[in-house]
Amino acid sequence: MAEPLHSSQPKTFPVKPKLKPKPRTQNQTPESKYWSSFKNTQIQNLISVPSLTFSPSSPHPFAAAHSATVSIYKPQNDPLDSPTTTITSFKDVVSSLSFRSDGRLLAAGDLSGLVQVFDVGGGSAAARSALRRLRSHVRPVRFVHYPKLQRLRVISAGDDALVKVWDVAAGDSPVMELRGHRDYVRCGDSSPVNADTFITGSYDHTVKLWDVRVGDSKPAIEVNHGNPVEDVVFLPAGGMVATAGGNSVKFWDLISGGKLVCSMEGHNKTVTSLCVGRIGSGSDEELNQFRVLSVGLDGYMKVFDYSSMKVTHSMRFPAPLLSVAYSPDCKTRVIGTSNGIIYVGKRKIKEEEIEGRVSEKSLFWRIRPLEHTEKKVFRPSHFRYFQRGQGEKPSEGDYLIMRPKKEKLREHDKLLKNFRHGEALVSVLEGKNPGNVLAVMEELVSRKKLMVCVSNLDAEKLKLLLVFLRKYCTVPRYSGLLMGLARKVLEMRVDEIRGSEALRAHIRNLKRSIEEEIKIQQSLQEIQGIISPLLKIAGRR
Amino acid sequence: MIRGGQNYVSSPPAFSNDGNRVLVCTGNTVSIFSSSTGLQVSSLEGHTAPVTSVFVVPATDILCYCWTSSFDGTVRYWDFSVPEMVKKLDLGMPIFSMVIPSFLGSSEENNAKTANVFAYVSVHDGKAWQIRKCSLTNYQNVGKLVLKETERLEPLIISPSGKFFGIKDKRKLHIWKLPRVESDLAVAKKITLHHTKTITVLAFHPTERTVAAGDVTGRILIWRGFGTQKFLDHSGSNNRISMNDGEDKNGVRQNDDAESCSAWHWHSAGVCLLSFSPDGAYLYSGGKEGVLVLWQLDSGKKKFLPRIGSPLLYFIESPDPSLSLISCADNQIHMLKTPSMEIIKSISGIKPPLSYQEICESFSGKAAFDCTSGLVAVQTENYGIQFYSLFANRGVYEVQVCERNHQPVDEVTVAVTLVELSVDGSIMGTVEIKLPEEGVGGLVSLKFWDLDSDTKRFSVSTVIYEPHRDAHISAIAFHPTRRMAVSSSYGGDFKIWVCKEGDIQQKGQALQNSGWMCHAVGSYKNKAMRAATFSADGSVLAVAADTVITLWDPDKNVLMAVVGETPTPIVSLAFAGKSEYLLSVSHGLKPQLSVWSMSKLTMAWSYRLQIEAVSSAIDSSYFAILALLPGSNERAFKGNGIILLFNATDPIPVASMSVTKAKGGGLAFLKGDLSERAVIDGKTSQTLLVYINGDREYVIFDPYDKEGHKLSIIRQDVALEETGQFGYSSIYGELPKFDLQKDKAASVMSTASERPWETIFTGSTHMLPPLTKLCSVFLESLLEKRAALAE
Repeated sequence: MAEPLHSSQPKTFPVKPKLKPKPRTQNQTPESKYWSSFKNTQIQNLISVPSLTFSPSSPHPFAAAHSATVSIYKPQNDPLDSPTTTITSFKDVVSSLSFRSDGRLLAAGDLSGLVQVFDVGGGSAAARSALRRLRSHVRPVRFVHYPKLQRLRVISAGDDALVKVWDVAAGDSPVMELRGHRDYVRCGDSSPVNADTFITGSYDHTVKLWDVRVGDSKPAIEVNHGNPVEDVVFLPAGGMVATAGGNSVKFWDLISGGKLVCSMEGHNKTVTSLCVGRIGSGSDEELNQFRVLSVGLDGYMKVFDYSSMKVTHSMRFPAPLLSVAYSPDCKTRVIGTSNGIIYVGKRKIKEEEIEGRVSEKSLFWRIRPLEHTEKKVFRPSHFRYFQRGQGEKPSEGDYLIMRPKKEKLREHDKLLKNFRHGEALVSVLEGKNPGNVLAVMEELVSRKKLMVCVSNLDAEKLKLLLVFLRKYCTVPRYSGLLMGLARKVLEMRVDEIRGSEALRAHIRNLKRSIEEEIKIQQSLQEIQGIISPLLKIAGRR
Repeated sequence: MIRGGQNYVSSPPAFSNDGNRVLVCTGNTVSIFSSSTGLQVSSLEGHTAPVTSVFVVPATDILCYCWTSSFDGTVRYWDFSVPEMVKKLDLGMPIFSMVIPSFLGSSEENNAKTANVFAYVSVHDGKAWQIRKCSLTNYQNVGKLVLKETERLEPLIISPSGKFFGIKDKRKLHIWKLPRVESDLAVAKKITLHHTKTITVLAFHPTERTVAAGDVTGRILIWRGFGTQKFLDHSGSNNRISMNDGEDKNGVRQNDDAESCSAWHWHSAGVCLLSFSPDGAYLYSGGKEGVLVLWQLDSGKKKFLPRIGSPLLYFIESPDPSLSLISCADNQIHMLKTPSMEIIKSISGIKPPLSYQEICESFSGKAAFDCTSGLVAVQTENYGIQFYSLFANRGVYEVQVCERNHQPVDEVTVAVTLVELSVDGSIMGTVEIKLPEEGVGGLVSLKFWDLDSDTKRFSVSTVIYEPHRDAHISAIAFHPTRRMAVSSSYGGDFKIWVCKEGDIQQKGQALQNSGWMCHAVGSYKNKAMRAATFSADGSVLAVAADTVITLWDPDKNVLMAVVGETPTPIVSLAFAGKSEYLLSVSHGLKPQLSVWSMSKLTMAWSYRLQIEAVSSAIDSSYFAILALLPGSNERAFKGNGIILLFNATDPIPVASMSVTKAKGGGLAFLKGDLSERAVIDGKTSQTLLVYINGDREYVIFDPYDKEGHKLSIIRQDVALEETGQFGYSSIYGELPKFDLQKDKAASVMSTASERPWETIFTGSTHMLPPLTKLCSVFLESLLEKRAALAE
């Protein structure tokens, strides 16, 4: 062939870690990428968290109920460990929380049957004592809610199967008492489009839509979920509700009189809480896509796209989950667990998203930077005269002669290129990537230099190698080489290892991890022994 | 019959006088390549044994004459521009090397000498190699005078000035000075230079009395002023001897006749090439490690052209100072742009078989054939696969399998052990192994490659590390129609791999995700599996499990039948085309070729033969085998191998051909539309058989053709040649051409006046163009005038 076949001439091949198998199915859809972009931090040392709620007003602090305490956290704080406000004036376990639509008042119900309203807008001192104490429930209160479009009223319900509507300003006695549920009322939500309607869900399997204007203890619409209802939420358009009960989440169309739209059966245990999440930059409403986030006792958080009826993301937590909340600015997602840990997921808003907002706001004020219209003419008296044209950009028709691109070589590649094998091994051992270490080791093997390198390591470097071996020699991908190497190292360097206490400690650790691995292998073989006759039998049919 | 795959580097090539042609000794012929395109232009055919040297007669650009010598004992004189033979001299003894000093040297001497041209030849008289002289102009017989006898083949090296020639002989250099006036009886004077190591190569300085020699340890010795005492027969030579006796002779050993000897050492392995630049200021050296070193002769400063990747053999300067060529041991000739030391073009021969055959049991140096496009894929030493076009007889491209640089002196630790192509040539499978160091870190990896439909190059699609754990892979076979492959291992299992076809059809992201994955694993009584093959329709997979053949359904992975038993393990399997017969080959103490009937599941017939290769025609029931003959039969068959063509139903061979160098050879049927490439006596051939021997020389022929019709290739690429610029024009571009006639014509036209007919028809009648032309000019001039008036 006419072109030079001799392409291998100036090539250097940097050592590369072995390729990893690619997953056959793409698990990183853009959506799941979005949901996993929330970086989790933990708030620990609480007692189980039955309720979490975000303030609707910026900067969207969230309140968490745990035991007989309510803590308010600011997600912007870092670290999140200490709450900005703590309210402790409860006699019993707090069960439900709700912010008023302006975020200044917080209603909380506890198991003693008391509903209290606190001022949280004025700092932590103001919140110590309740503004109102609404006592009417004789059994534990399980649900307290400030309607989204109403500032004066509070809805509460509890184990006495009564739903009460309070006028906070008037105080002590409820405005309305709605009887209809036949079991504990556990949850409810108010319509985002109508100030007078709200729904409640109860352990009698029903979800009822109430209209305050009617007020005759007869629900406007009633749907049967089929399981005790744990949580219920209005979807943003206001025409649909999602109910959680048993292992399923069901979606109901209220406008058509309570028709079941779809049911999501993704959880393995009881779904405990729901909230509405949102994907999108926040400013542009059309781009926003709403999802229902559900958490359950099985430790899974699932994101359900109710328009396409698909679970788009699923995430596992190491504890039964009790509550979930999603901040209105899409930056924070909090999950409360039964063992007292709150998982706070924070997402970094991309630069462009923020910038987009800023530029919109300050568009009016923006001033164009001054432009240099005249080109400065350099004179030979100025030193830049002699450098003129060096930074000149090529114009379109110019023929460019590029400087050949220099291949970037990493430290160990450079050392390998200069045949400094020992140093290459040490430099890559000091790095973090085990794949690179293996690649360098393989390269040394193919140069027949690994054994020499190992025998020339001094005590300090030998320690490094032993630490690496202990960490990775049982990893299946690496064990083929590392097991053999570990044996060789022990054979070759037995004297040094005997002589040094530190090295002996490493060897003990190595031994332990190998013993552990052997145990695992044995149990795996046992399982194989059990399974293989079954497979044989299955194969015969 | 088409022959190809010759060795291009058996002896030094030569440039033609204008530097546009390269004459390369290729077996029995001399091939002439264009140095600008690197493609073959023509060849000199006539010798009946390998050509050993080619010598272009220096003259002006136009004359293209050369002398060649050959093992057939003849020296021939050619006009290679035509190309045809002019003269033939029969020396009667195999000639290994020939130098013709008479043409070299300065021109005035030349004139005197051209009357009588003498050549010095290294010939074999039945006992030893002898250096003799013979006259080329009026040849009667080889000169009786024997200058020197050597035991081994030693090439003669001549100095560019034509005054000296020399030879290396173990640890000695012998240098002769040519007599001033050549005649049959004139004796050349000889001196000998000694060294402590075996000398591998020598070179003469173009102008001075300086000779350089390289030895096996990589040292380069330079003797300056050799032969001061003996060759310069001045009257005052006695004085000089006495002077030299007194002083220390700068490293010259014993009583050698040289003024000084210096040594340079850079090469780590033996020096293979040495060459002085034409001006004598530089010395090129190269060795086994594949690095060309340019030494500045005065200072000893070095410049390098590294990583050529193969031992260097010869370095030839062209008449054009900016072009030279290097021959490499891997059968490549690289054109080198001299001042910048970069390779601009390569004449690529088929790469030689690997030197390390016995690396492991799974190693097979077998070539894979792409039957439809007539390509052969062979493993190369630099961990790659070379694709060689059988019909065009040139290397097409190379694929790097392992991402490593190859250094020829390195110990072999990585090797591509297996290469296999699918029937349609669109998929390739390769196996590479890394040898462990003291039992640590061995690795077998299997790679699948896809042919890019646009560029016609393979690119890697899937890499599988340790597909059968640490067991080596014995064979890969591809499904004839689907994207499915099977790999069998010595560890006693086989795996069926499939490539998801749905992914391929989709564009974009899905394409990224396509790859081969394991579809099924099978094993039979844990026996080592050494061969696997699919039937022609792909419905049956046959895998050889030690001495039995197991038949599987590749889709469901169900064992369908177990067939027969051979005395020794089966190493190769093939279905005989579309027929119901399966061939198995076993090696060992009782080698055997067996043909099994698939309908009866029994052996149909068998031969006790040592089979090297098997190939079956795709669309018929014919198959061909390459059998190694036992040593005693070699004389009778004129070769150590035989190709037998069988019809699967019949144990009597249809045709047989005896071949040489059958060990490590291969066979394949080529098919497809060959009408554009190969023609037998005017009609196109449908089926061709290619035989590639152990040295990777190949021959393509029609196996059914009894009379041995000539198979000729219609070359299309000869016309492709472009004229390259060199010398002045390469630097400053083409000079504008003067065309005297054109100038005259222009001047005539410019004098067009009021009366054009006067100027047009003036002049003597023999200068005038034909009237038909003048007429149109005349009319045009009239029209013009009218137009001008109108304005």
